[in-house]
Amino acid sequence: MARIFFVLPVAAAIFAGAVANAEASYVAPRGPGGKPDLNGTWQAMNRANDNLQHHPAQAALALRKGPHGPVPAKEVVALGAVGAVPAGFGVVVGDEIPYQKWALEKKKENQANWLTRDPEIKCYLPGVPRATYMPFPFQILHNEDALFFAYEYAGAVRDIHLTDPGPAPIDSWMGQSVGTWEGDTLVVETTGQNDQTWLDRAGNFHSEAMRVVERFTPRSPHVLDYEATIEDEKVFTRPWKIRMPLYKLVDDDAHLQRFNCVEFVEELMYGHLRKRPLD
Amino acid sequence: MTTRLLLALLLLVPLRVSAEGWTLPRMAWGDPDLQGTWTSATITGLERMDGVDELVLTPEEARRIEEQFAGFFEAVDAVPEGELPAGEDVGGYNTFWMDPGKRMAIVRGEIRSSLLVEPADGKLPYSWRGRAQMFKRFYQFMKADDPEARLLGERCIVGFGSTGGPPMLPVLYNNHYRIVQSPGFLTILVEMNHDARIVRIGGEHLPAQIRPWLGDSVGHWEGDTLVVETTNFHPGQSFRGSLRHQIFMTKEARVEEKFTRVGEKEILYEFSVDDPGAYKQVWRGEVPLLAAEGRIYEYACHEGNYSLPGILAGARAED
Repeated sequence: MARIFFVLPVAAAIFAGAVANAEASYVAPRGPGGKPDLNGTWQAMNRANDNLQHHPAQAALALRKGPHGPVPAKEVVALGAVGAVPAGFGVVVGDEIPYQKWALEKKKENQANWLTRDPEIKCYLPGVPRATYMPFPFQILHNEDALFFAYEYAGAVRDIHLTDPGPAPIDSWMGQSVGTWEGDTLVVETTGQNDQTWLDRAGNFHSEAMRVVERFTPRSPHVLDYEATIEDEKVFTRPWKIRMPLYKLVDDDAHLQRFNCVEFVEELMYGHLRKRPLD
Repeated sequence: MTTRLLLALLLLVPLRVSAEGWTLPRMAWGDPDLQGTWTSATITGLERMDGVDELVLTPEEARRIEEQFAGFFEAVDAVPEGELPAGEDVGGYNTFWMDPGKRMAIVRGEIRSSLLVEPADGKLPYSWRGRAQMFKRFYQFMKADDPEARLLGERCIVGFGSTGGPPMLPVLYNNHYRIVQSPGFLTILVEMNHDARIVRIGGEHLPAQIRPWLGDSVGHWEGDTLVVETTNFHPGQSFRGSLRHQIFMTKEARVEEKFTRVGEKEILYEFSVDDPGAYKQVWRGEVPLLAAEGRIYEYACHEGNYSLPGILAGARAED
């Protein structure tokens, strides 16, 4: 028995090593312009949108003090277990977001006021990089002359420039993205975003000075390694990175649905302006 | 697929060469290339203006109408001297914000008085039931009791009128479309409101329970023309109101669109609407989509929507 117990971990380690080597040496089939073909519908399968950092399961995103610890805030208590937040491994490399002192205070304040401050609650455009790890798929349309990202959430889009047009004429919610290739890695630099978007539901935020450099590298036919470096000298003390795999949806009919949530927030935003407001 | 195989396939595809020597461009996988930024801006309306009988205008008639429009837009910008009168309608916005085009639409070399080509009178062929439903929605809209009663454009759900379509029709501004293709898909990014309608090439429509805004579009190629059939319309998209057209379509409508690249800088866009629940007959139209420079800038509508709460709050103040 003892020998079996010894052999199994060794075999597993050898197998894991073989898989890792296979992935390291993976060469994606050639697509547009001799580069990897990124066409397809992709999705992050993690809980980064709840919180980019390690987090335990908790009763709700909006909490208030209870006699024996936090309980769900009044506004969300009716959701019960559906409103609870599952635990999640962080996607921040090193798990630390290097906020400047004032900015860390603001992040905490954001988190405490999540219900009224998170732009996702009002169905606002998600910005970059949050669009990538919203719990919704996105579709890449890719050919020699175009690289277009369509996101199911809120109908967000990015029409990625393949030659740099110079600075964005004016800030926008999704910013201006320029794509280049480093070997088989697509590198997308996004600037010109406004300061209204957040990075997750935990209050992580940025300013309009943020520069995001994303790297998409095929790891296997159905997985892209995704890494984003976030730089914002107004908010952080140094650049920092998030990293996660993106998975390809492989069903025969894999394509985006539409999640136009604008109509779903009308009661929240304008219900009080009805001729006869609902109870 | 190897480059060699692609080249072999390409050789099998007949090339379209026009009299001017223009050759239909193709994507690497052989489909006609419809990709680019296009505009449908034209002062030709969906329906024919009163007092004009013929579909095709003479150059003189067209110039006269274009001058009338130019005069109208100049008048919009003419702000009276002195203080504006309090409590009166001072208008919406000036022409800086408008981009309806300056020219009548030219289709197949003809200057058109309406985008509609069928029925022959250039008017929407409402049934009494369709017209009644349209007026009912219009009445709800006028009352401003609830956000859901307002125009889709005011609510920032989709753009004004039928700009998002289908059928995609020109409105007062933001008439740009960006087409991007990939094997098996063609997406049409509608400027207002950043809606990417992703057309699947081949396949089945969605189950009847799923009814997206802008419907569900499935396409196929007939020769070098992309034919797109759209069903599964969202019931909320029935009333498509704008300054330039008001359309009522039931959620059971079927819309067929045809995209044909007819030149380096033009796509001929044809559409037909089959909706017996609101119309006496199928109606058909033709719109030139002309090449436009640059990319589409983000039209983030909902994020800055001061208009809708203003309209509702104004109505409550009047109540």
